Amino acid sequence: MLDVDVYLRQWAMPHVLCPGCAHGIVLRSFFGAVDRLGLDQDKVAMVAGIGCSSRLVGYADFCTLHGTHGRAPAFATGLKLARPDLEVVVITGDGDALAIGGNHLIHAARRNVDMTVLMLNNSIYGMTGGQAAPTTPQGSIASTTPQGSVETPFDACRLLAGAGASFVGRVLAANPGAMTDIIADAMAHRGFAFVEVVSDCPVYYGRYNKIGEGADMLTWMTRLEQGVADPLAEKRFVEFVPGAGAPAGLATGVLQREERPVFTGARKATP
Amino acid sequence: MSDRSKGLLLAGVGGQGVILASMIVADALVRAGNDVKQSEVHGMAQRGGSVVSHIRWGPRVSSPLAPKGSAEVLAAFEWAEGLRWIDYVRPGGAVVVDVRTIIPPGACVDRRGWATAYPRIDDGPIADRRLQPRLLNAAAIASGLGNVRAANSVILGSVAGFLDIDDQYWEAAISSLVPKGTAEINLAAFRAGKEAGTVVIPAQPAPEATGVAGPHVIEVKHDWCKACDICSRVCPEYCLALTLDGKLAVVDPDACTGCRLCEILCPDFAIRIHPPVVAGVAAGEGAS
Repeated sequence: MLDVDVYLRQWAMPHVLCPGCAHGIVLRSFFGAVDRLGLDQDKVAMVAGIGCSSRLVGYADFCTLHGTHGRAPAFATGLKLARPDLEVVVITGDGDALAIGGNHLIHAARRNVDMTVLMLNNSIYGMTGGQAAPTTPQGSIASTTPQGSVETPFDACRLLAGAGASFVGRVLAANPGAMTDIIADAMAHRGFAFVEVVSDCPVYYGRYNKIGEGADMLTWMTRLEQGVADPLAEKRFVEFVPGAGAPAGLATGVLQREERPVFTGARKATP
Repeated sequence: MSDRSKGLLLAGVGGQGVILASMIVADALVRAGNDVKQSEVHGMAQRGGSVVSHIRWGPRVSSPLAPKGSAEVLAAFEWAEGLRWIDYVRPGGAVVVDVRTIIPPGACVDRRGWATAYPRIDDGPIADRRLQPRLLNAAAIASGLGNVRAANSVILGSVAGFLDIDDQYWEAAISSLVPKGTAEINLAAFRAGKEAGTVVIPAQPAPEATGVAGPHVIEVKHDWCKACDICSRVCPEYCLALTLDGKLAVVDPDACTGCRLCEILCPDFAIRIHPPVVAGVAAGEGAS
């Protein structure tokens, strides 16, 4: 049985995240993956940039590095090259990873640096006041798009697969068991592993788009899901359809997995 | 063979091959020169549900269903399913039962202690109705032959002992209906079933101590809790609720079964579920 108190920095708790924010569920699932892989806490390095999700490194009792906005993959690349014995995990948000740090992310993927990137996608800029992010679905309300966003959002998994990530997966924060499985799978993968976690922002996205509070958003995201049994199936990338009651269309599961030479020579931990 | 039509029931759990077995019986009966009608109920069969197939045969058959208390033979592929249909057998009829047990999720009567209400294996219900019992361990015989899935042919072999059909018809029916490449093992299973005598009801082990006795202890770290309401919304037993002043309260601690949904989905790490101190309750407790 997972004892989260081993992995939490007790003195830092409770965390700053809003009531109902699923990022805490993601952190617990990450602890579950570390626990399952049996990794030494001192051999795990969590690297983060700026944002709600990046705050999580403050509460996790591993080696942690809180960097500048969007540059977490760059810090992580340097860290992995200098200390190949460390299991490097980047925890980042959709704005941090895809807007401000888009270049760092795609080049880390292109080089196939041996690291794991967890991108917590809450579809909005939560920390700065609910502005539209590159992942805000078309038609969704944000503080900067009161009439609904007109832009086409990124499909982060498709982007990263195109950039050369050798492991790409997507999972819902409402599904912590599957999340632990996929994160453990990604951490055991040798090469660049990218996992998009569909998280929530009840305070901005849920409120603006009238989805509801934390529990309502967890229910809402399950309605977007389309499970993928065969990772190589043609349907692996389907359109993100926003809004409550929309037809299911968000592919979850392991979407891409391949073996490629890694940028660093170090071996990853095996599950 | 008399002019009256006779009935036979096959009962089992989805996936055991009840329907295929009933097709084989019907085919063998047709080959032996009978008029045969067959009807089955297999609603939730794929999900491990109850499957029953009626077969009637004779010089002329009008309805496929055997009335209660009229069937010559009941062939049950599982113990509880046998009991479910035992009333259909005529006094003095035969009952062929595989003594294996497949306990359905619905038999769980206590979600905390995991006690199940599964009927005991004993020959009381068979003796009460003065039936000829033939208890088998078909799955064990079939796996001894190399494929546990041939257990239905073992049962058929045993059923053949109670029906007046020539073996050549049975073997022709089996060879033509079983999946390609499995005729040999199914024929071997059929012969083994014919030769198998009735087994003594196995000694039933004392129920294992599984599950836990008391309710789990719900510990809430109120200084970490932000009252987001996720835990109280996901709790299947309604143990948790938000009070009017916005604090999380454990309103029904005794109902907790220890499913840990609240603990796992709490974004604030504010809930700890502790197993009860006294562990171990008889799993069979509460079984009828």
